[in-house]
Amino acid sequence: MMNRITNLPTLKIDPSKAVSLKYHDIPYQGCAGDTVATALYAGGVRIFGRSLKYHRPRGLYSLDGECSNTCMEIDAIPNERSENLPARDGMVVREQNVKGSAEHDKLSFIDKLDWAMPAGFYYHTMHKPAALWPLAMKQIRKAAGLGRLSPDFRQTGRFDEIFPSTEVCVIGGGPSGMQAALSAAEQGLRVILLEARPWLGGFYDYRTVQDDHAVPLYERGRKLAEKVSAHPGIRVLTHTSLVGTYNNGLVTAFRRGSSEDSFAERYIEIRAKSVVVATGCIERPLLFENNERPGVMQAGCAHRLLNTFGILPGKTAVFAVGHDLGLEAALDLHDQGVNIACIADLRTEGQNPDLLKALESRDITYQPGQTALEAHGKKLLTGVVLGSMDGSSQKTLPCDLLVASAGLTPVSGPLTINKGSVAYDAHTGSFLPDKLPENTRVAGRILGLGDPEAIEASGHLAGLQAAQDCGLDSAADLQKAEQALAELPGPEKGTDFVIGPVSGRKSFICFDEDTTIKNIKQAINKGFDVPELIKRFTSAGTGPGQGGIPDHNLPLFTALYQGSAQESVRPTNRRPPLTPIFLSTYAGRNHDMAKRTPMHDRQKQDGGIFRRLGVWRRARYFSEDLSCRQEVENVRSNVGIFDGSTLGKFRIHGPDCLKALDRVFVSDMHKVKQGRIKYTAMCNEDGCVIDDGVITKMGENDYFFTTSTGRAGATVEWIRYHTRYEGRDFHMVNLTDAFGVINLSGPNARKVIEKVVDQDISNEALPFSGVKGFSIGQNVEVFVMRLGFVGELSYEIHVPSSYMESVWDLLLEAGQEFGIMNFGVEAQNVLRMEKGHIILGQESEQRTNLLDVHLGFLWHRDKPEAKTVGSLALKQAEQDPDRLKLVGLKMQEAKVPGDGCVIVDESRIRGYVCTIRKSFSVDGIVGLALVEGPLAKPGSVVSIYEDECKGNLLKADVVPLPFYDPEGARMKA
Amino acid sequence: MVAITRRSPVVFDVSPSRQEKRDHWNVALEYPGEGEGPWITDLCHKDRWDVQDGDLVSLASDTLPIPEGYGQVALSPEMSVNRMNRTQAAVWHFTDQPGPMPVVSSFTETTEATVFLALYGPRVFAVTEKLTGLDLGGPDKKPPQLVQGPFSHVPCQIVVAAKSGEYPGILFTCSRGYARDMVHAVMDAGQEFGLRPAGEDRFKQWLNRF
Amino acid sequence: MALTLTCPICGERNGYEFKYGGEDKGPRPEESGLSPEAWCDYVHMNNCVAGVQKEWWYHRDGCGVWFTTERDTTSNLEIHNAEVS
Repeated sequence: MMNRITNLPTLKIDPSKAVSLKYHDIPYQGCAGDTVATALYAGGVRIFGRSLKYHRPRGLYSLDGECSNTCMEIDAIPNERSENLPARDGMVVREQNVKGSAEHDKLSFIDKLDWAMPAGFYYHTMHKPAALWPLAMKQIRKAAGLGRLSPDFRQTGRFDEIFPSTEVCVIGGGPSGMQAALSAAEQGLRVILLEARPWLGGFYDYRTVQDDHAVPLYERGRKLAEKVSAHPGIRVLTHTSLVGTYNNGLVTAFRRGSSEDSFAERYIEIRAKSVVVATGCIERPLLFENNERPGVMQAGCAHRLLNTFGILPGKTAVFAVGHDLGLEAALDLHDQGVNIACIADLRTEGQNPDLLKALESRDITYQPGQTALEAHGKKLLTGVVLGSMDGSSQKTLPCDLLVASAGLTPVSGPLTINKGSVAYDAHTGSFLPDKLPENTRVAGRILGLGDPEAIEASGHLAGLQAAQDCGLDSAADLQKAEQALAELPGPEKGTDFVIGPVSGRKSFICFDEDTTIKNIKQAINKGFDVPELIKRFTSAGTGPGQGGIPDHNLPLFTALYQGSAQESVRPTNRRPPLTPIFLSTYAGRNHDMAKRTPMHDRQKQDGGIFRRLGVWRRARYFSEDLSCRQEVENVRSNVGIFDGSTLGKFRIHGPDCLKALDRVFVSDMHKVKQGRIKYTAMCNEDGCVIDDGVITKMGENDYFFTTSTGRAGATVEWIRYHTRYEGRDFHMVNLTDAFGVINLSGPNARKVIEKVVDQDISNEALPFSGVKGFSIGQNVEVFVMRLGFVGELSYEIHVPSSYMESVWDLLLEAGQEFGIMNFGVEAQNVLRMEKGHIILGQESEQRTNLLDVHLGFLWHRDKPEAKTVGSLALKQAEQDPDRLKLVGLKMQEAKVPGDGCVIVDESRIRGYVCTIRKSFSVDGIVGLALVEGPLAKPGSVVSIYEDECKGNLLKADVVPLPFYDPEGARMKA
Repeated sequence: MVAITRRSPVVFDVSPSRQEKRDHWNVALEYPGEGEGPWITDLCHKDRWDVQDGDLVSLASDTLPIPEGYGQVALSPEMSVNRMNRTQAAVWHFTDQPGPMPVVSSFTETTEATVFLALYGPRVFAVTEKLTGLDLGGPDKKPPQLVQGPFSHVPCQIVVAAKSGEYPGILFTCSRGYARDMVHAVMDAGQEFGLRPAGEDRFKQWLNRF
Repeated sequence: MALTLTCPICGERNGYEFKYGGEDKGPRPEESGLSPEAWCDYVHMNNCVAGVQKEWWYHRDGCGVWFTTERDTTSNLEIHNAEVS
């Protein structure tokens, strides 16, 4: 590839593998290992987009996603951080926030109107006169935000999630993080190491300077990385960005999938006993006029463009830096052919003498005590004004690259979002970790360290401290490690916060929000005197980069301008997500988990229309006729078959089981007999009915009971909760899924079942409310209950689940001559409603008690020793005449109101309709409703309000229940 | 005449290449292309019992070794006895014809109540990590060990049978009704690692290591 | 906030696995002679401590045990061997 330097040992690209992107419909050739931004940069792109407010041209600045300069629309996804996103073949890239193109933006004139838009401009201009506001809002909304998401956009790709637990989680895969991981893992601990870049190595990775043993740092980094990767106790997650850190060792992150991975992004939720934050530093932007002109970039950015990506960032470079890393970058750039016009160094002392010698030997102009004052160039950088801090000895140098970097800024977001704090340190000129969150350790450059040996030693120490957090006794090792670190060079002297004599009108403290030094001054002059307030008034630090650019500069400038101590200010708070993350990544796989009955597939084949009801998928209808007329009539006149497997089923046994049953069921449980079933109910403490079902005795201290479908999951919990203080000896087994339940209902039901069972099943042998074991087919043991939920002769057959389908087939075969038919949940709903039988949750809500639904007869009042749940409340509720009561309704007109419609009088709501249907068994539209006591007498007329009734209330008569077979002769037949 | 068949709630998207009839079950012995692992095996046809008693220890015997500590598991090629808490243990049989369940009220047959699966072979914990926050392969796990907790959002009883060596693996049960979605979730998570259904033969080979 | 609870059977687990069962108020009072007000207080009134409280939790996704633990309601952290206020 022509535009790349391919012989550097530090390269992370593979120039032999081309990757092609499209930008402005023009193909750009990058290579494997490129990010979108580096591929475009190599192809000559310098302006990546336009700034939010002023539409200023913006270019590559940091390579680590600290600002929105290089946010682009990639494959229709806006605001992608192109400097972090690996380039892939076929990507389509567009610039953002432009009218025209990034090169020729028709809105660039706004840059000249900055005088009209001071800080807080929107707050105090756009609201008066009020009539202007709707107009202004429209314009502001148009201008807000960078990228545009198409309303038709659909996220593709696979999103995934993992929930690893670990002992130590190390954030940052640089030298100190790797050392921390190694020393913790060598203690036998499990370690997860997170690294945002696709590879380990941190700031060693692109540096060619040698350590004391003449080993280049990149090589030192690789050796460490190999050791880390080979260690079985360490799990390395590269290309993984941190989302947040929380108390109790919770760390969340997400990982970008490479083309080999099965996911586009994977959400990672880590639970660790100890967290090591080794996030290192980012660079601190240098403040001067036009400090973000394309062509201005940070030292690490220029250095990595060359050493990692093989790209010469410019032809003629000027440096304005404040640390040795800048000098290293200058040397490497020079050696690869970049003309270094001048290096201005903010420092006058503290430089590494070896580096200075190297500069001298190359005849590079080096000017200590100088800084950049202004960048020239209309769109791209054409030159720079350098000068001393007081503005004297200015000179202008032509260049196409200005490497500007004021110093280093420790990345403390992972600490401060978890209630850790930082404090200003005068020696380093940085905010260093102060109070750490619980079980959190720090290592490396975040502590201000610069010496490689010291950085690694601090990592080693942090790893041991983390081991201590995990309960390991490492006191001796710790002491040694502390000692070793103490003997190495401490934190490096940093540069003071400086800014040349500039107006600040175009000196940007925050790139994302176009906030200038002048804006900050305006905010402070208005009385917004602390960074958190200034942030809100000027919006500095609220962009996608989350304050990466203004982090240290904002508080330090605030202190400088106000003449207050630097110790009195703090950088503004970070908030999760620390790195922008897709909502789809948060959502993860979101696999729906639902239950299916043993008859699921068969019912589907039979044309069942399924609905999710609670945790189950159930067949609601068997035809497109949602009134289910055929299903209903077949049960009333013939025989229907219904899958009731979702019913809750429980065995309870043990010496104290009756005591437990008496506690939760309202009836007298001593009366439950073998061979008979008893219908009963459970209430909550307020007497409100929460469940109903049947119970039968299987043996001494051995009972079997059923619950409604919806309550099955909470039954064990409920019974244990209400007996939790007594330490009773009873045991429950949830058999809900162990048995399929076939409900065979209709006048011909007996004729069908008697063909398949092994014993007499006449009305005498198994009467209504009876229960008995039978054998079906080749000795399939089932037990059969005589119930009457739908109001017909009805058998509830409990079959071991694996046999369910075969037994069902036997019944179908036996019922063929009668025309046996499926019926679904909706048909059952109509049938039982006609019979006046309730379904809890439908004919009740959380305030409906046992008495309201006329189930008071189940309640055995005289068992105070059982302390039955709800009994005291029921005794009180008995006195209350105003409660809602369950009644039967018959519509006066031919319209069917929806379930849940309210019943009203002139002034207020008097109740609501629970279930109402056109009945085929009795004439007319009938239903169940809960209404206030005075309305509940048969003969009253109620008014039903429906959404579309247009003020014409629907009238219904209150009628006695049940509608169908009041004597119960049919179900007892 | 309808033939009586017992049906497993587990459905894989491949049919077994070899199977046999056993107590009305169609037991898959081998699947085509079982691959190099990890594997998933349907064990729904294996007998399971629930044992609950205020004096659980009194029910222990040579043929029913109930472990003393909560979370402990007595795992052998014949059965796994999982101590769940003070009063409860689960018994999972692996043999084709286990003896009859003792006629004591403390025992309940629960074969039909749960779906029973084995997940084993290389990288099995990379699969489980996608489905649960429980660190099944974690350093604190001492196989065989019982873990009761959520797996793919559903409460499960999980036995970590082995976590290191050539063949790490787990056995687990959850409510039978979840079978289809559970298998789907596990297969989906295991796809990137080459997870394949395997028959009872391979499972037995694995089990015989214990 | 990440809540971790210690189940007496299963050990330390993610708080998502548990269901809250309210403050620990002691056993159910005897029914005979109990005034409706006293009953209502037992069922519905809470101390809402800002600090360490003893409370019930159910290991819903795990072993299904109800247990008590002490939790600092201000930090949402479980406190082992706490002095309950």
